[in-house]
Amino acid sequence: MPVEVILPKVDMDMSHGTIAVWHVAEGDQVAKGAALFDIETDKAAMEVESPAAGRVHGITANPGDRVAVGTVVAMIYAEGEADGDIFLPPVVAPDPVIVAQRKEPEPAAVATAVSVGHRATPAARAAAREAGIDLADVVGTGPLGRIQRDDVTPPHQSGTQPVAAPAGWTVQPGPLHISHRKGTGTPLVLLHGFTADSQSWAPLEKALGPDQPLIRIDLPGHGRSPHRRVHSFSELSRMVVDAFDEATVSYDSVHLLGHSLGGALALAIADIRPRRAASLALIAPAGFGPELDAVALSGIIRATRVESLMPWLRRLTATPEGISDAYARVAMTGRSDPALRAVQASMADILFPDGVQAFDLRPAMTRLNLPASLIWGRQDHIIPWRHALAVECDIAISLLAGVGHIPQIECPDRVARILSRHFATAALSR
Amino acid sequence: MNAMTQDTAVRTMSYAEAIREAMALAMEADPTVILMGEDIGVYGGAFQVTLDLVDRFGPDRVMDTPISELGGAGVAVGAALTGLKPIFEFQFSDFAMLAMEQIVNQAAKLRYMLGGEASVPVVFRMPSGSGTGAAAQHSQSIEAWFGHVPGLKVLQPSTPEDAKGMLLAALADPDPVMIFEHKLLYKTKGHVPAGHYLTPIGKAVVRRAGTSLTIVAGSIMLHRALEVADRLSADGVDAEVIDLRSIRPIDRDTILTSVRKTGRLMVVYEGVKAFGVGAEISAMVAESDAFDFLDAPIIRLGAADAPVPYNPDLERASVPQVDTIIAAARRLARREV
Repeated sequence: MPVEVILPKVDMDMSHGTIAVWHVAEGDQVAKGAALFDIETDKAAMEVESPAAGRVHGITANPGDRVAVGTVVAMIYAEGEADGDIFLPPVVAPDPVIVAQRKEPEPAAVATAVSVGHRATPAARAAAREAGIDLADVVGTGPLGRIQRDDVTPPHQSGTQPVAAPAGWTVQPGPLHISHRKGTGTPLVLLHGFTADSQSWAPLEKALGPDQPLIRIDLPGHGRSPHRRVHSFSELSRMVVDAFDEATVSYDSVHLLGHSLGGALALAIADIRPRRAASLALIAPAGFGPELDAVALSGIIRATRVESLMPWLRRLTATPEGISDAYARVAMTGRSDPALRAVQASMADILFPDGVQAFDLRPAMTRLNLPASLIWGRQDHIIPWRHALAVECDIAISLLAGVGHIPQIECPDRVARILSRHFATAALSR
Repeated sequence: MNAMTQDTAVRTMSYAEAIREAMALAMEADPTVILMGEDIGVYGGAFQVTLDLVDRFGPDRVMDTPISELGGAGVAVGAALTGLKPIFEFQFSDFAMLAMEQIVNQAAKLRYMLGGEASVPVVFRMPSGSGTGAAAQHSQSIEAWFGHVPGLKVLQPSTPEDAKGMLLAALADPDPVMIFEHKLLYKTKGHVPAGHYLTPIGKAVVRRAGTSLTIVAGSIMLHRALEVADRLSADGVDAEVIDLRSIRPIDRDTILTSVRKTGRLMVVYEGVKAFGVGAEISAMVAESDAFDFLDAPIIRLGAADAPVPYNPDLERASVPQVDTIIAAARRLARREV
């Protein structure tokens, strides 16, 4: 059997690497341990050695190609082994910057039975077949990047995690995790931020009072939604719009509220489904300028323990004291699944390549024709509040002094008051 | 009422005592049951399993045979063909190789070759396994060899209760049955019901229910697997442990049901790893609908590809021990394989 040469994982949070240079050519004879190629990651460059002695065949990645970890980039054939027509999948990952800037919508992510060529367990394949998920969209967290069952369908029901929806909430089945809380009036759809989940709305939900009907959506790769790989912002928007359509099918229109990345997605929904949105409220939204604190984001994604998560969480609030130990512990519990962290790392690489917000939603903002509010903390360390000033449309802007990136957690009552005025304005404008 | 109390009464006794009790019960109840083997009479058996049975039942029913396994086994097979129920003890199961003709070519095949008009109700007792410092020719685990032979039943009790119940079930079976008794288990103690009862042939049993991974083991490996499961539970790994009990016929349902639940399978056995019990079980799972539930490669842990060494450290290292089993189980549970 020929020996596979794979792109190794040389960094904890590495999902892809770039082949810098090949030291061998097709057909070269190599000794075990000989240098095959150099790999470059965000942080390091290193030499990859041959796992066996033999002849190099089937090199599938060229210098400069970005390749997913675990991908077979060449084969080593022992002496006398025939190099038959083995199947090697195409390895080059789409360039995230180009993907992010692409205007044309990509072909819809069609679930197919194309699973040959992916390293996946039988259970993962069966789960993908059942859920209609293409294995190409799934990030494998097993050895050599193998896709395991939990990578396809997250283990909600494992004994230690809270299982059922909290009291008063009902879960709507579908590709993304959607939950409803009944009340009176127009429902409010909640879209959380990157690396957060729907639970993060709890303080604001309390402040809004028990009568406000609510619809929570967990973003792909977050909370209880499946750990799906996302290839572009437009694909992510499409997935969230689909979930929005399913979640709001029984209402004429709904209020939209999004935070950070969820803000960008709420705006995308309002842009694509203008008649379905009664109003739009954005808290520190993404998509209004290129800057963001990518170091904090990658720190949060990488953290496997409360001790390493805590320092980065403290950047979310105006002052470090804003984050309690209990909050950090709960946050780490929600992030304990390595598959979730891996898919978020891959998502960060697509949405925020090189630490830059690669998608721009300011054009969508200018098209907006509905009651809208923008809320931003003046001490936001993650996305600069000055992005709010880039907005060119009629919108109520509330800049909160002494507040950081998560006003809905730092001062939920204040945000609730702003929202009730916002809802009142929306009701008048009907 | 008295009979009930006696039948369900549970006493503690050793594995060897439980086997002896089964033989005595059967001999009391059925005059056609006889014991044969080398040194099983006055000497009481190489591992003192028959002990004083010659005093209780006399030398006509507890027969010392010459040092000729082929001859002794041949007489046992002939006696079984003609109406007796012999229990033949091989001093070491390794010596059964001298009697392969009688076991494989005669006992296993005669029912088929005589059109179902004859049966060979013989029981072969097979003291087996390593760990006694008895070196390569006295330490083997060759149960898988006989698992390959249609016409034989191959059992492997891990507890005193099963050792008794399986021997009685073997005597109740009309065809040849081989019972592999692990030499290190003879002195282990456990609860044994009084009176006559049968442990079903071909039925595995879940000794410990769990959800993280399935460990299939038999004989002494079951005890090592259970210790591993206890230690793993401290790490939050919840292993299911199946006592295989019967190699032929094998209990497909119990194994497949467990694999469908856990998605992870490890088979631990003392025979040489290659072409062994683990290969059969792995292939059985891979060929079944349980395949789609596998979430990791199957792990087999068996003996090293070498004769069992005499050096005690090497002997220990050559077969799965608690340390090696726990290391492999951790890797499987942590998804590192």
